[in-house]
Amino acid sequence: MKRAISVAISAATALTLVLAGCGGEDEPVDPNAPVKITLAGWSLASTPEFKTLADGFTASHPNVTVELKEYAPGNDYDTQMITDLAAGTAPDVYVMKNLKNFYTYQSGGQLLDVSDATSGLGSSPTLASYQVDGKAYAVPYRQDSWVLFYNKDLFAKAKVAPPDGSWTWDDYTDAAKRLHTGLKGAGSNASGAYQHTFQSTVQGFALAQTPNADLLSGDFGYLKPYYERSLDLQAAGAQPTLGTAKTNKLTYQAQFGKQQSAMLLMGTWYVATLLNQRQSGDADKFQWGIAPAPQFDKSTTGTSATPVTFGDPTGLGINPKISKSKTAAAKAFLQYAAGPDAGKALAGIGITPAQVTDAVTATLFGLDGVPQDDLSKFAYAKHTIKPENPVSKHTAGLQNLLNETHSAILSDSKGVDAELSKAQARAKNEVLNQ
Amino acid sequence: MATLPRTRPRNRRLVSRNTVAGWSFILPNFVGFAVLTLLPVVVLFYVAFTNWNVFGVAEWTGTANFRRMWGDASFWTALRNTVYYTVFHIPLTLAASLGLALLLNRKLRGVRFFRTVAFFPYITSIVAIAIVWNQLFSPEYGPINALLGAVGVDNPPGWTASSTWSMPAVIIVGTWRYMGYYMLLFLAGLQTIPAQLYEAAETDGATPWQRFVHVTLPGLRHTTFFVTVLLTIESFKVFDLILVMTGGGPGQSTLVLSQYIYQKGFEENQFGYASAVSVVLFAICFSITIIQFMVNKRRNS
Repeated sequence: MKRAISVAISAATALTLVLAGCGGEDEPVDPNAPVKITLAGWSLASTPEFKTLADGFTASHPNVTVELKEYAPGNDYDTQMITDLAAGTAPDVYVMKNLKNFYTYQSGGQLLDVSDATSGLGSSPTLASYQVDGKAYAVPYRQDSWVLFYNKDLFAKAKVAPPDGSWTWDDYTDAAKRLHTGLKGAGSNASGAYQHTFQSTVQGFALAQTPNADLLSGDFGYLKPYYERSLDLQAAGAQPTLGTAKTNKLTYQAQFGKQQSAMLLMGTWYVATLLNQRQSGDADKFQWGIAPAPQFDKSTTGTSATPVTFGDPTGLGINPKISKSKTAAAKAFLQYAAGPDAGKALAGIGITPAQVTDAVTATLFGLDGVPQDDLSKFAYAKHTIKPENPVSKHTAGLQNLLNETHSAILSDSKGVDAELSKAQARAKNEVLNQ
Repeated sequence: MATLPRTRPRNRRLVSRNTVAGWSFILPNFVGFAVLTLLPVVVLFYVAFTNWNVFGVAEWTGTANFRRMWGDASFWTALRNTVYYTVFHIPLTLAASLGLALLLNRKLRGVRFFRTVAFFPYITSIVAIAIVWNQLFSPEYGPINALLGAVGVDNPPGWTASSTWSMPAVIIVGTWRYMGYYMLLFLAGLQTIPAQLYEAAETDGATPWQRFVHVTLPGLRHTTFFVTVLLTIESFKVFDLILVMTGGGPGQSTLVLSQYIYQKGFEENQFGYASAVSVVLFAICFSITIIQFMVNKRRNS
C-alpha cells in the first residue's frame, strides 16, 4: 500500500514535470543546469554500446552527464537488477535485455510511464511491445533479428549452391546434409550446420513463422515439424547434437568463426562479434554472407517477398525512484537512444538499432569485413520481426518449461509427440492456472 | 552457615564472568549467523504463506502455496529426483569413503600422498569439476565411452546428454567429489579404536573380516552416524553440482528440490512459492535427521 502510494506520487510528479516541460521540447526544465543520470550496462569493457549512447547523447546535451553502472552479463543481469530495484539502489535508466522479464518490471511498478518520450518515434511494432493500456513503459534502442550466417568458402569446398533467399526449412535441411557429405568428401571435418543450445534456435522460428501459433495458448503443436527437422539433422550427422554441444561447451562464435560449421542461425548481434573476432584473431578470415532465415513455406521466400523471422527488442526504461530534477533528462536520453542519430552511431560499431533505415544499413555495410553482396543487405534490412517473448504474466514460466522440453526432445527422449504433450499438460497445470 | 553468603556471590560472579567470556567468544560468529542465516530463515517461514514476488507487498495467502505444491507435477518430479540422488549417493559415498579410509589407515609408503589425492576432489572448484566431467562423459567424443567401447560395450550410455543416464552420471561425480572428505572423518574415527582390541581379536584367531565386523565397525559407530547425518542433509540439499553439470536436464531428469526452489524464486520471481518449497525441504531434512537420532539412541541403549 505504502509502495503504491509512493509510486502514484512519483508518477504524478513525473506527469506534472512533463506538463511543465512541454514548452521546452525534450530539454530539461532548466536547459543549462548540470544534471547527472545513471545508466545500467553489462561487461562495459567488451560491450561498447552503452558508452556510444552516453557519448552521443552528451554531445547534443552538454549539461547532462551519463554515468555507467556495470552489472553482470547473461541471466545474472536481471537477477541483479531486480534485487537493486527492490532495494531502491538501481540506476536511473536501465536496460531490458529481452521481453521475457518486461512483465515483471512493469507489473511490479518498476517502470516510469514514458509515453511522452515515444512521440516522434513513429509507430513501429517494437514500440507496441512495451505498451500497456495505451501507455509506453520503455523504448527500444536495439532490435536484432535472426538470420542465417553462412561460410561461402565452405559452400564452395563442398560444391553446394549457397543460399539465394528462396530457402524453406526443407531446403535448409537438405543443404546441411549435402554440405556434410560434400565437406567430408573434400577432407574437411566441418559440419553442415550448427544449431546452438538456445531453445530459440528452434522455438523462436516456429513461433514466429507458423500461422496461428500462440505461445500463450498452451498448445505447442506448432513446434513439431521444427523439432523433427532438427532431430533429422542430428541423426544425419549434419550438425553436432545438443548433447555434444552441451557436454563440450561448444560456443557458436568458435563453431562459425573457426570454420567448424558452414551455416549458423543466429541473431544479427553476431555481426559485431564476428568483426571483432576477425580483428583479434579469435575468428578466421573467410568469405561469409548473411541470408534470410529459412521460411515456413514458399509464400515468404524470394527477394520480392518479406521473410518472417524473430527477435526481441532491447529496451530502456526509467526507474520510478529517479529524482524529479532528472526525469526530463532521462526521458530525453530515451528519445535519443531510440532515434535515428543513435541508430547511426550504433550501426557504426556493428550494433543493429531499433529502426533499420537505409542510412543504418549503409553505415553497417561500410564497416571493414562486412560482406557486400545484395542478399546480405536484403537479409539484414528487410524482414518482419516477431517477438520471441509475447509480453504476459505467463511468459517467463512458459519459456522455462519449454526450455526443459527443448533439451528433452533433442537428447534421446521419448519422441517429439510425447514430450510436447507433456509440456502442454505442464503448461496447463503449472503455469496458465496461476 | 557463615561461609555460604560469601561463596555464593563469588560463584555467581564467576558464572556471569564465564558467561560473558563465552558469549564474547562466539559473538562474532553468532552475529554473522543471526544476520545472514537465522533471520532470513525466520522470514522464510513467513514468506512461505504469502504470494510475495519481490516487488510490492506480500499478501497473506494461508496454505495456498502448499495446496498448489500438492498438485504441482514438477515439484513431485523434483522430490523424486532428490530421493533418487539421495538413496544412491549416501550408501555409495559411505562405502567408498570407509573403504578409502581403511586402505589409507595402514603404514604404507606414500600414504600421505594418497590421502591428499583422495581429498583433492573436495577442494577443487565445482565449476571446473563439472566442465571436466562433462567432457569425460561426452557421448561421442568422451574418453569414458571410448573406454567402454574398447572393452566391448556396444551401446554405451549417453550420460549427461541422456535423460536416463544423467542422474547416474551426477551421482558418480557427487560420490567422487565427497568421498575424500568423509574418508578424513573415518580416518579420525579409526585412530580412536584401541590397538589392543585388534591384538586381542587376533590372539583369539579372528579373521580380518571378523575383525572388521566385530571391532572396526562397532568402534566407528559414532563416526558412521555423524557421517550419515551429514550425508543425508548434503544429499537433500544438493544444488551446485547439478546446476553446473546438467542444469537439471535433459528435460527434468536431474531437476532436484533446491534447483526447483532457485527456478521458482530467482528465475520466475515467485518468492512466496519458492519459500514454501524450501519449508518442505527443511521439514524433510529435519524429520529424517530426528529419525536417525532416535534410531541411534535406541541402538546405543
